[in-house]
Amino acid sequence: MTRPDSISRRLTLALTGLVAVLWLLAAAVSTAVIRHELNEAFDSALQETAQRLLPLAVADLFAQETLEPPLTAAATGIAEHREYLTYQVRDGSGRVLLRSHDAREAAFAVPLARGFSNTAGFRVYTEPTISDTVFIQVAEPLAHRREALVESAAMLLLPVLLLVPLSALAIAAIVRRGLRPVAALRDAIERRGGDNLAPLDRQPLPDELAPIAAAVDHLLARLRAAVEAERSFAANSAHELRTPIAAALAQTQRLAAALADGPNAERVDRIEATLRRLQRLVSKLLQLARADAGIGAGGGRVDLLPALRAVVDEYARDQRGRGRLRLDDGGHARLEAAVDIDGFGIVMANLVENALVHGTPGAPVTVRIDADGAVHVVNAGPVVPAATLATLTHRFARGTGTGEGAGLGLAIAEAILRQSGGRLVIRSPAGGQSDGFEAVVILEYEKDGGRGWD
Amino acid sequence: MRVLLIEDEPILAQAVREHVAAAGHAVDWFDRLDDAEAALATVSYELVLLDLQLPDGRGLDLLRGMRRRGASTPVIILTARDRVSDRIEGLNAGADDYLVKPFDLDELGARIQAVARRYGGNPNPLFAAKGVEIDQAQRRVRVNGAAVNLTSREWAVLDQLLRRPNALVSKTHIEDALCAFGSEIESNAVEVYMSRLRKKLGRDLIGTVRGVGYRLET
Repeated sequence: MTRPDSISRRLTLALTGLVAVLWLLAAAVSTAVIRHELNEAFDSALQETAQRLLPLAVADLFAQETLEPPLTAAATGIAEHREYLTYQVRDGSGRVLLRSHDAREAAFAVPLARGFSNTAGFRVYTEPTISDTVFIQVAEPLAHRREALVESAAMLLLPVLLLVPLSALAIAAIVRRGLRPVAALRDAIERRGGDNLAPLDRQPLPDELAPIAAAVDHLLARLRAAVEAERSFAANSAHELRTPIAAALAQTQRLAAALADGPNAERVDRIEATLRRLQRLVSKLLQLARADAGIGAGGGRVDLLPALRAVVDEYARDQRGRGRLRLDDGGHARLEAAVDIDGFGIVMANLVENALVHGTPGAPVTVRIDADGAVHVVNAGPVVPAATLATLTHRFARGTGTGEGAGLGLAIAEAILRQSGGRLVIRSPAGGQSDGFEAVVILEYEKDGGRGWD
Repeated sequence: MRVLLIEDEPILAQAVREHVAAAGHAVDWFDRLDDAEAALATVSYELVLLDLQLPDGRGLDLLRGMRRRGASTPVIILTARDRVSDRIEGLNAGADDYLVKPFDLDELGARIQAVARRYGGNPNPLFAAKGVEIDQAQRRVRVNGAAVNLTSREWAVLDQLLRRPNALVSKTHIEDALCAFGSEIESNAVEVYMSRLRKKLGRDLIGTVRGVGYRLET
């Protein structure tokens, strides 16, 4: 209810307002009815009073010795008192012949005819007698009726003061209860992070919410399809691009083997070198595409040791790593982390390749798992200056080495590790050495709360 | 060695075939799984070079089928799939090596030799005896320090003998290795190549067990 535009707040306000308005309308109608009934009752009493009073007043009049008007009822021997009803007895010309002592002296400004009429603050009933020559007019102050009406109306309005806050509370509680499935659905959607695109739990939902949940599921499915498509595009284009390059490279190498040394052989060598560069660049760009597609954010925890072994084995068989590469698993039987295994493969392949290519030729490269499960890739070679080190994880940044790389390897490794909640630390000279370069893959940096690696 | 190459990209297949043949192996090439299966059923190959994505199915299915049938023929996967999970899957399915395209033909040659040596029981690519040094991986021969060139068929015969130095290799076995090159061979072909090899490598290196076969003598 504190949010500026919440459904429950709007519903509570609107419903409470509606209850108040309806109550006021009911009160107004009741007041009108009461007023009508009150008037009828009061009028009837007034008429009755006038008719009962008339013979007495006439008798009083005739008993007077003088007809010098106006006489007051006091003169007729009635003691003075505060009157609720007042009356005047008037003759046909309108002269006041007799009046009750609280009645005003001037004649009521109403016509001398049987019936009710209103004059300044009074309701007056006129009753004629003696062949319409004498009239009695009984007046009742209107303030009295108003007071009765106002009191009744007030009694009707009083509950509104209690009703508004009570109904507001009750409605708020009902609305909140009614919106509980909405909150549950919201939570379910919130729990879907960027990586979890699985459909929502299909708990039984009210009719109003089921289409929303279905729409969200539909959207998630489309998103999932889009992400899958992006990933499979990267994988498929890998195949589509690699095969023709492989064919061109193989044909070029056959041509080089067939040609004797000479200018043409040199040209073929240059073509071969260019094709190799193209091959490296394509493979790095595809890795980058996969990293940008979020390959690092894997699903569940997997054992990465087979992937690490496969990568090291691959380079150990290769010309570049033959006899140079060593894996020290630190006695770990498993290396578990919530990382996509192919993303991890790309990370390790880049680090191992970098270590082999940029290290001293022929010098050993060690891949070591430490006691905390971080993977270190260490080579020997010239120390990388701190200023260069700081830029190495930028895209298309190169060290001062042979210029063979595309300058993407560390950027790719860093991006993938960041997606999976890990971290890449690089340092030169390598830890415990006076030379070389060391890359440390911390698989679950965020989970560990960040250890002091730097 | 008799090598089966299964690859659906003809330009790549042609280059690989030439390169492997130049190293002294006989190569049969198929671009479909069903043809390759038929060839595997009738010919006993000593190595299979296998692409994974073929027009009529997955190369891994062929590999798994081979291993299920108990075939121990070495298999090297040549594929554009570079993901580490594909590599693990390929090796788990029974491949001996996994090479990602584009690869170096020389690298392929080295891997073929390494696999062949592992299966031949002689993991050492270097042979030296009686003044003859042979580097199978590099395809180099020196006799008393001087380089000697061998033809691919001569290599094919020598490879058979190098697999197990001092062990007897039957004449029919060597004939099969030569047959793999496709053309008809004369009935005395084995004798012809043996005499050529002896001329190039020296008389003492290859011994004859009359009526049975030959062996490399150290």
